[in-house]
Amino acid sequence: MHPFSISVADDPGRAVAAHAQDDHLSYIAGGTDLLGLMKDGAAFPAHLLDINDLPGLAGVDATPDGGLRIGALARMSDVAANAEVRERFPVIAEGLLFAASGQLRNMASMGGNIMQRTRCSYFRDGDDPACNKRRPGSGCSALDGLNRNHAIFGWSDACVATHPSDVAVALAALEADVVVLGRAGERSIPIADFHRLPGGTPERDTVLGRGELIVAVEVRAQAEGRASHYLKVRDRQSYEFALVSVAAAVETEGRRLRSVRLAMGGVAHKPWRLTAAETALRGADLDDIGALEAAIATSFTDARPLAHNAFKADLSRRAVLRALQTAGARA
Amino acid sequence: MNAVGQPMPRTDGRLKVTGAARYSADVPLDGMAHAAIVHSTIANGRTVSIDTTSAEEAPGVVAVFTHHNMPRMNPTPEPWSHLHPHGQSYLPLLADAVHYAGQPIALVIAETLDQATYAGTLIKVEYEADQPVVFNRETAKEAVDPPPFLWPVASSVGDADEGIATAAVTIDQTYTTSDRHHNQMEPHVSTAVWDADETLTLYETTQHIFGARELVSIVLGIPPEKITIVSHFLGGGFGGKAYVWPHTLLAALAAKVVNRPVRLQLTRAQMYSMVGHQAATIQQVVLGAGEDGTLAGIRHDSISPTPVFDDYIEYAALAARSLWAAGTGIATNHKVVHVNRNTPTAMRSPHEALGHFALESAMDELAYATGVDPVALRLLNDTEIDPYSGRPFSTRAMRECLTKGAERFGWDERTPEPRSMRDGRYLIGQGMASAIYTHWRWPAKARVTVHQDGSALVETGTHELGTGTYTVMQQVAADALGVAPEKVTVRLGDTRLPASHPSIGSATMANAGASVMLAAKAARDRAIELALAGRDAPFAGAEPDDVLVADGRLVLARKSLEITYAELLARNGLSTVVGDGDYDPVEEALGPKAVFSFSAVFAEVRVDPDLGLVRLNRFVGAYDAGRIINPRTARSQAIGGIIWGVGQALLEQSETDPETARFANRNYSGYLVPTNADIPELDVLFAGGFDEEASPLGAKGLGELTAVSVAPAIANAVHHATGKRVRDLPITVEKIL
Repeated sequence: MHPFSISVADDPGRAVAAHAQDDHLSYIAGGTDLLGLMKDGAAFPAHLLDINDLPGLAGVDATPDGGLRIGALARMSDVAANAEVRERFPVIAEGLLFAASGQLRNMASMGGNIMQRTRCSYFRDGDDPACNKRRPGSGCSALDGLNRNHAIFGWSDACVATHPSDVAVALAALEADVVVLGRAGERSIPIADFHRLPGGTPERDTVLGRGELIVAVEVRAQAEGRASHYLKVRDRQSYEFALVSVAAAVETEGRRLRSVRLAMGGVAHKPWRLTAAETALRGADLDDIGALEAAIATSFTDARPLAHNAFKADLSRRAVLRALQTAGARA
Repeated sequence: MNAVGQPMPRTDGRLKVTGAARYSADVPLDGMAHAAIVHSTIANGRTVSIDTTSAEEAPGVVAVFTHHNMPRMNPTPEPWSHLHPHGQSYLPLLADAVHYAGQPIALVIAETLDQATYAGTLIKVEYEADQPVVFNRETAKEAVDPPPFLWPVASSVGDADEGIATAAVTIDQTYTTSDRHHNQMEPHVSTAVWDADETLTLYETTQHIFGARELVSIVLGIPPEKITIVSHFLGGGFGGKAYVWPHTLLAALAAKVVNRPVRLQLTRAQMYSMVGHQAATIQQVVLGAGEDGTLAGIRHDSISPTPVFDDYIEYAALAARSLWAAGTGIATNHKVVHVNRNTPTAMRSPHEALGHFALESAMDELAYATGVDPVALRLLNDTEIDPYSGRPFSTRAMRECLTKGAERFGWDERTPEPRSMRDGRYLIGQGMASAIYTHWRWPAKARVTVHQDGSALVETGTHELGTGTYTVMQQVAADALGVAPEKVTVRLGDTRLPASHPSIGSATMANAGASVMLAAKAARDRAIELALAGRDAPFAGAEPDDVLVADGRLVLARKSLEITYAELLARNGLSTVVGDGDYDPVEEALGPKAVFSFSAVFAEVRVDPDLGLVRLNRFVGAYDAGRIINPRTARSQAIGGIIWGVGQALLEQSETDPETARFANRNYSGYLVPTNADIPELDVLFAGGFDEEASPLGAKGLGELTAVSVAPAIANAVHHATGKRVRDLPITVEKIL
């Protein structure tokens, strides 16, 4: 690992100012991803600013309009165990509990979780293969290499990586906002706009800039929250990133779907909303499997599988159906 | 009460769980420097220039070695031998050639590991790169006949092709297994210390201290008596630490030059290219059988990759030589493809676990083709004579394994039609497979010393791999001496102790264990001599055979006389009695009987047909490993083996990037091994008994056996569940959808 210095931040405003001034400074919270990136030569911060002691950022609190504000420094395990979260937004609790391991969940923060970088094996390869995320302009080894775990939606020739976060997928389905502190104060970014598609600049995962700090994630009160489910499909039963995952949240009238929110993980450079399917599913009967499948399929007409992940489109449709049924059973 | 046969807990368990056990990387040494290897990023070509200027100037750096200044080494010895085993013949840092990705090309020595690692990143390398060759179905067409390695490359008994040609039913299928890596929890580490008198001590992660000493002696050109190898505990070996890999030699040479102790520990990623792995196989199995399932002919051929400089063979077809009788004939053959990779090596369970996947999957296909129940099919083709050597098996409890295992599993309740068993939305599948495993007979020495306080010390140069060697040797010595196991201390893993064989091939209990038993008996006999004819002899006039030992005493029951070891030694003015054990068996192949271990294993899987997910529901393993010395450690070996097999069946594959020929998933995040959540209750039963041909202890090999045939049992269960026959491991989602 390269040499670096570390200091402890005591005030959010000063942390943001320091971050704005130093291109080689990186915040560190749980460190569960950043330290791995540094060891793999995929991140080279010269200075780490430890934000764990910043006051007021670790809570899970009700908002005036009945939603939840989840502090950026809240630990995954604490959020997953929170009674309000479990009851009103089970998709969040499940998205957290199906991720990583117990030890990692105790360390990892919510803000850090949605800032995780891709698990693409080329990006993580310390031998520095062609990777536009590691070295912009060097190319994408996965495009014609090993790409079983890569995207089927929204990729570019510059990058076919997927976003690894589970809870970000749940947050996408719940249309959460990422609250960011900048030099001019706080702003809210809809989670759909927070992560980027790779385009020609895959080195940028999010829209965050220098001098910005995630302070919270806010989830509005919503009928769909309670009847929600996170389904994670993976090769092994625990401690693995998703092959594909689905966050489903529904509001029903009897067995009929009144409103549906669907987001997927493991299929794109960002949590992938299935907006076409959501529209097509409105009014569908949860017991009419054929109608559900046809509606779900509308979101896969633009799927573009790679050489080794053609199965993901089929698997995704099946996973969406299952997640929808499970969420529907909770309504 | 005998200690052997008791489920004694591990004597070193507390040391391990409290962190007090000193593994090879834990040994503290004054003035020690740390080494880091810089490796090639190309897989074929040469280095044109290696600029070490910045690295040499980096903080803490003591020395930087490349092929320009690395001291020379002798070539690895020919022919290859277990007595001085090298992992690969090609030794790095001697020339500019690059033959595989991740080949060492520079070595940095610094005050701290971080300094060495960081300085390594400052080395600038220019390459001249050629396109590497990787192993796949296309390049497999270039397979060639290798020279023999551990066994004959090809075999033919009778006329297999005739049996197949005239058979009523034939199965002819191709099966593949993936490249896999050992991924021991403990990384490979070598710490080299040179003393003023030019003696070398290596604190090694090795399953073969004496083989390491011989190989280091030959390659470095120093006499073996000037070398000490120490390895007290291993955090997993699985064959990957059986032979000497280049980093050990580099550490020793570097320590000599910098004139201080040097520790060289491989990174997790480097464990994919600087030590061995299990090579992938492409296997063809052809079975010919009568309508009733009686085998007439078996043909089993395998192709596996090997580096451009070595001819390592995965003997996948070995199993077919001895597992089942085939009336007309059995033929096997192996070929290799030379590619740009490091040398493969034995990995639990080498050869057998690969071949059994193909052979026992084919047997299941035959069961379905003939309509014969899979257990009945195996009972039908069971044999008391080894088809390969023509010798009778010493013991072969295959029938017991099959019947007892089937009974424990509830095989009778199975309905044979695929997709006929369900649990809600899940498909349930039940499959089984059998296995045969090679038995190694190797020489081993041991010394047992009884002290004046009645305690005993066992000393032998075998190894603790995590399997419980300290415990079982204590049990064996305790019974032979007639003392309580708590009175026995065991010392292992040091070439200053009596020489033993490699701890591989499940050989330690039967061979090293026999040497301990012989040594303990020799010490006991010496004590009996003293009791009969020593000073103030208590049993004067009696015969040695009249004397029994128990509870720390020598007993002459006929005369109701007894004396403790302590009293006997005191009476004779001795501080110790010593016994030496020299177990020197004939090689198994030269013995009158064929010695193998056997098993029958049964798997139940739960398949989610919508999502393509296969999970293991339950598993029963029935094993004939001869006499079981410690049912607790034996069961642990078995469940470890089953879990190892679950990894092979469902998860593990080292993927090669087709462009760079690198193993791409070089970490625990990308290379999946089972977690606890993947493993249900595992049911283990032992169906064998004392085998005097196998060992004076009656024990046969167990550890490797238990990892064999887990994969075909699971694959057969998946077929039963889904109707899909998956012939390529691992069985992942896309193969089920």
